[in-house]
Amino acid sequence: MKGVNLEVAVGAVRLANPVMAASGTFGFGPEYADLVNLSRLGGIAAKGVSPDPWPGNPPPRVWETESGLLNSIGLQNPGVEVFCREDLPFLAAAGTRVVVNVIGHTVDEYCRVVERLEAESAVDAIELNISCPNIKEGGLTFGQDPIHAAEVTAAVRAITRRPLWVKLSPNVAEPERIAEAVATAGADAVTAINTVLGMAIDLKRRRPALGGLSGGLSGPAIKPIALRVVYQVAQAVDIPIVGIGGIRTAEDVAEFLMAGASAVMVGTATFADPTTMERIIDDLPECLERLGVTTPIELIGQALPGRL
Amino acid sequence: MIRPLIIKATIHSITAVATGHFEVRLDSRELAAAIPGQFVHVRTPGTLRRPISFSRLDRAQGRVGILWQVVGAGTRWLSEQPAGSQLDVLGPLGHGFPAPQADRPWCLVGGGVGIPPVFAALEAWQDVVQAPITAVLGARREDLLTMGDDFRDRIDDVRITTDDGSRGGRGTVLGPLAHWRAQNPNGQVYACGPTAMLAQVAQVCQGVEHVYLALEQRMGCGMGACLACVVLAQGKHGPEWRRVCHDGPVFAAEELIW
Repeated sequence: MKGVNLEVAVGAVRLANPVMAASGTFGFGPEYADLVNLSRLGGIAAKGVSPDPWPGNPPPRVWETESGLLNSIGLQNPGVEVFCREDLPFLAAAGTRVVVNVIGHTVDEYCRVVERLEAESAVDAIELNISCPNIKEGGLTFGQDPIHAAEVTAAVRAITRRPLWVKLSPNVAEPERIAEAVATAGADAVTAINTVLGMAIDLKRRRPALGGLSGGLSGPAIKPIALRVVYQVAQAVDIPIVGIGGIRTAEDVAEFLMAGASAVMVGTATFADPTTMERIIDDLPECLERLGVTTPIELIGQALPGRL
Repeated sequence: MIRPLIIKATIHSITAVATGHFEVRLDSRELAAAIPGQFVHVRTPGTLRRPISFSRLDRAQGRVGILWQVVGAGTRWLSEQPAGSQLDVLGPLGHGFPAPQADRPWCLVGGGVGIPPVFAALEAWQDVVQAPITAVLGARREDLLTMGDDFRDRIDDVRITTDDGSRGGRGTVLGPLAHWRAQNPNGQVYACGPTAMLAQVAQVCQGVEHVYLALEQRMGCGMGACLACVVLAQGKHGPEWRRVCHDGPVFAAEELIW
């Protein structure tokens, strides 16, 4: 089983296996390095970086829910300059693909981050985050409207030839319309999905539990939502999809591949079990064998109409 | 400092130590080398682990104590695990208390489920401190007080308060602490408890040089990656959020902004 080839590709980005760490759940890499063999991962999506430092939201910033997790971190980060100087060198040496998640309030802010990243050779892909529910302006606003989504994608496309992924929000009626817009504007792939807008109430304090009031729901609770979005987006666009939402097992990965994803990201599951991604990578060969295939690539899109 | 590990630790014993409070003794040589104030992140059936501080660190026996209050499904599940079974614990995590100074009177302040980590500090460093040692322990009611006897077994000066006066003085730890502080201007204070209590401890102890506070906050990863469990601190360029799990949970009082 050890010799199984787990390689996949997201457009021009070749991954040793389909399992990447999701942005926001894995810091900038070193945080989990004592517990996770980073070089075994398909890739690491770094926490979102903005042109200038962002402070983030007041606590509480997380709240556990049934089969899920609400967060309102608010994209706290030290800014792209500090990231490039202090954090990127570690990622560059980690022996895995480096995806840099980019955030901003305005088109210009997204562009400033991407321009700064152009000077860095260690960046394998840029993931444009137009779908974070935890900031008031920018972010999700871009992800909820095809015109704005296309505008920010095109602006970034004009300044980089790097692989450009756009992370989609599930908090829209038709995510596939946003996917079409960003594909037309030059995106090389889409990541689906970001967190689902939600809220918890703290009975004791009689008010919303999170400091940011509402937040983004992640974890197994949103897996069906994510699979539905991946399945719909896969029928709407020709560019590859990175599937994300509630993935905990090799079987979950197989489901996302069948729905049309070319690779996946694992986020919330890492918190309960930091070895989740390595365990999935260990389990994948046997899972593939049970499904009667020899590589993950064979599963991609198998559940889509016309492929059955 | 020891690097964090994921350990399957066997429960040596589990005891109900107060109403809704449980203490487990875990067999683990690795964890026993931790520093008081550090914590473990314990796996439960939920989405997140539960951060719990060490109540004891017995290096000779290779055994540690962790003590928690049942507040939800995760901590209830933990309290139902029998001796002999194994817990999946991630730790030791965070930065613990610094070793106390030998020549300064030492006051250990614990409120509610914040009592255990200051007991671990007493156990570890009692012999280091040559000056008088005082403990001020507070709980809402007598039946919610933990580790009072453990403190009395080690030191004479243990002052207990309860909100309703059902044990010790009526009120909070702040009364006895203010009294101690007035008599010991060159003292050192280690405290753990609810955030509101620690804010007042910091205020009462203003001007005291060595005040260390172990904080609690809603926590995600426990590893410093998710930036969930932050507190406001004084940074080089103004106020900034710091991570309780990684930069703390122990902070010098003067670092924090309330």
